[in-house]
Amino acid sequence: MGKLTIGCFSSLVGSMSLDFAVKLAGAAVEKGHKVDFWVSGNATMLSIKGQRAFKDYSALQKPLQELMGKGLTITACEACAEARGYHKDITMEGFKRHSMDWYLASTFDADRVLHIGGE
Amino acid sequence: MATTKLGFIIQRAGYKCENPKLALTHSIASQSVEVYLNDGDLVTADIAFVGDGVLNCLKNQKAMERYGLTSTESHIKNGLLLDLNILVCKEDLEMLGLSEKDIVMDAEEFGADMTTKVVPFADITKMMEQVNHLLFF
Amino acid sequence: MKLAVFVSDYRLNVDTLDRLKAEKLGIILVQNGVYHATVKEKGAASPLLGKSANYYALIDDLETRGLGNADIDGNVKVVGYGDIVDLIFNEYDKTAWL
Repeated sequence: MGKLTIGCFSSLVGSMSLDFAVKLAGAAVEKGHKVDFWVSGNATMLSIKGQRAFKDYSALQKPLQELMGKGLTITACEACAEARGYHKDITMEGFKRHSMDWYLASTFDADRVLHIGGE
Repeated sequence: MATTKLGFIIQRAGYKCENPKLALTHSIASQSVEVYLNDGDLVTADIAFVGDGVLNCLKNQKAMERYGLTSTESHIKNGLLLDLNILVCKEDLEMLGLSEKDIVMDAEEFGADMTTKVVPFADITKMMEQVNHLLFF
Repeated sequence: MKLAVFVSDYRLNVDTLDRLKAEKLGIILVQNGVYHATVKEKGAASPLLGKSANYYALIDDLETRGLGNADIDGNVKVVGYGDIVDLIFNEYDKTAWL
């Protein structure tokens, strides 16, 4: 089994790129791969806890928490989050926060990297 | 000891879109990645500006004066100061009516030795082949 | 290189894809990129489908947009998320998201 590092920079609501990334991460985890997931820029919105699931907006907290329970590692860019007022106290449990070098370090031993840029 | 090489391809103009800035700040983060790795292991970042992305390289950006934001020009200069390999597509510059004299070619004022390289797209293709992973912004 | 390119838009802002060279090229149509597999502007298939590449389209994104197998160009293989995982691990060594 391999390691997949996914980076996503698109917002939770608006483009559905995070929906794609979370579903792909889930498929990779199901196949036994290790998955590191990095969110930066507007994608740090994904890290906020207490997301309310409306049917008109992407809602990924539940599938994400299930994936974290299956071993997914997910990390938000701390500076990008803080710049948007997403502080540690409103971060979803299990969601890590680091500086950008965490993402690059994750690519070091990744077999594949899928980088999904922002809008 | 091992090295993983990343290729950052910047294809969009900046400011309205955060991608170019994030590409530069993430590539600059390659300089501090060692804290997560074993001694001698490295992650390197090569950067290529292509398509409308070459517009990020224009000189005399005044983002700080007008909006209080670090300019893409400053990020490029920081990249040069940190010895990142920065390539700019020659054909795309010409297509947009630009040349070396219009873009950031060095960061001498910071003491950087590295300079921007204006190269044919074929050289950027070679870079993309040589790196381990590609990140398109 | 063996490159898997994710095409996520129907109208690309840049011609990056046309310039990418790879010994093996896979084009994975996702999000609005799946329209390339179905829309026939003035009766013609998308020019994107004329490359020397293997083509895939994500079933979830096709069906989300009201598209199905009957609409898909014959050059395009319909895949799921699990298939994409297998493709990028087994068939290609680099990815690009456009």
